[in-house]
Amino acid sequence: MSISLTIGRQLLRFLLYVGVYVLLLDNGSVVLFNLGWNFFYLGFLLFLPISTPVALQLLLGFVLGFSIDIAHDTGGLHAAAAVLVAYLRPWVLRLLTPRDGYDTQDTVNVHQMGWQWFLVYLGLLVTLHHLAFFFLELGSLQHPLLTLSRVGVSVLYTSVVMLIVQLLFFPVRRGRG
Amino acid sequence: MRNLLAFLLRYQGIMLFVLLEVVSFYFFLTNSSYQRAAFFNSANAYMGVLLERRTQVADYFRLAELNKQLVADNAQLRYRLYPTDFSRREADSLPVGRDTLGRIVFRHLRPATPVGPTGQPLPTQNAKLITQKARPDTLLLGGTRQVARPLVAARVINNSLREVDNYLTLNVGSADGVQPDRGVISAGGVVGKVQAVSQHYARVTSLLHSKLQIAAQLKRDGTICSVRWPEGLDFAHALVDQVQRQTRVVRGDTIVTSGYNAVFPPGVFIGTVESVTTEPNKDFLTVKLRLGVDFSRLTYVYVVPAPPSIERDSLEQHTSELPASVKAAQAQAAKGGKQP
Repeated sequence: MSISLTIGRQLLRFLLYVGVYVLLLDNGSVVLFNLGWNFFYLGFLLFLPISTPVALQLLLGFVLGFSIDIAHDTGGLHAAAAVLVAYLRPWVLRLLTPRDGYDTQDTVNVHQMGWQWFLVYLGLLVTLHHLAFFFLELGSLQHPLLTLSRVGVSVLYTSVVMLIVQLLFFPVRRGRG
Repeated sequence: MRNLLAFLLRYQGIMLFVLLEVVSFYFFLTNSSYQRAAFFNSANAYMGVLLERRTQVADYFRLAELNKQLVADNAQLRYRLYPTDFSRREADSLPVGRDTLGRIVFRHLRPATPVGPTGQPLPTQNAKLITQKARPDTLLLGGTRQVARPLVAARVINNSLREVDNYLTLNVGSADGVQPDRGVISAGGVVGKVQAVSQHYARVTSLLHSKLQIAAQLKRDGTICSVRWPEGLDFAHALVDQVQRQTRVVRGDTIVTSGYNAVFPPGVFIGTVESVTTEPNKDFLTVKLRLGVDFSRLTYVYVVPAPPSIERDSLEQHTSELPASVKAAQAQAAKGGKQP
């Protein structure tokens, strides 16, 4: 029972993130200064339960990226970057393990894990994703300054949006005093 | 066997990671190839329906803007329907010199008594009109037959501007007579080229795509050149390639399609020259173009129907296949020209 509940919940989250990204955050209308892109859909991957198996995370990352690719006609660009994030996420989580390990009910939640933990987690993964994405997209190292500035502005943009999502929709306190 | 299973389980993460990355890269790298199956892109039936619904909803919020564009489009067409009083007239004789008595000698451009289609001489009032229509214009022979087929009007339902390679999705497909490799134009000028079609949707390589080159010419004197959009340029500009140094290009010159490769009809507006720079160690001028189409507010476009001259294109492709060694040498030369 609880397993089907979890699957249903995650499916709903997937549809929400992808739906909002494809239908509302149309790629032409939300670009800042021609430098900042918003990767709202990454929230699905970043806020998965901590104990999700690696293989499942990778598959979910691929499906997520590929659906965005189909909508934006980018082939496998979003998928490649999302699979990279899915692969690196367990490493980052391991790097940031609290002193007494993760509790069973711990989730990626700014209220539960604290600001410092959350910002490092978010910043690290989003930066790695954007570096991979923008350099892959260009397919060369020809315009390093432009690409780096895109990465920089986009990291700020995506992170702020992710933070807003956390503050608005995630429960303030559960367990962990 | 058990060892193998244990090994697979131990390294499932890294192996699945590599596998998925390889699949992603395969799709990414083959994305702009024309042979690709039409399913995994925004023109497939499910994504097409989704994107079209989105456009339908979003259109309600910009009806005024859409109407304004259509009205402007109509106005331009009506302007062509009612040409000015002088546009069709031409002199029937030209002064060519003076004879020995100082009188001006006229040379008549048309026979004094024009003949109608049936062979009898016509009354002079009607004569001019009919001869004008009956006279075949050899310059337009390539283009005239295309006019007989109507353009296919389409709505842009998905559009990207700021990627390295940009694509559009249209709500017309093979059921409406759209085929791959057809040109797409709008009221403002050239938009792109159809890449893949499904039954009701089409994916278009936008002009803002690093691999699309458009055969073009200077409208003023017919110098041929090609237009491309290199990565890193904004969506209002493009570059004109292959303009020889000695060609006279000035700001404001008009660039139109040449119609040499049957994708676009000849004479479709592309843009106006914004700046011309001569670089010391290059054979070609660097010409920057301001595009006629505003890609950020593209709504209705027209797909150019298949011309009768597809045969011509395939013939030219057959005969222009170069030996591999020549191609390699050319690529080398192009690279060498770029580096310094």
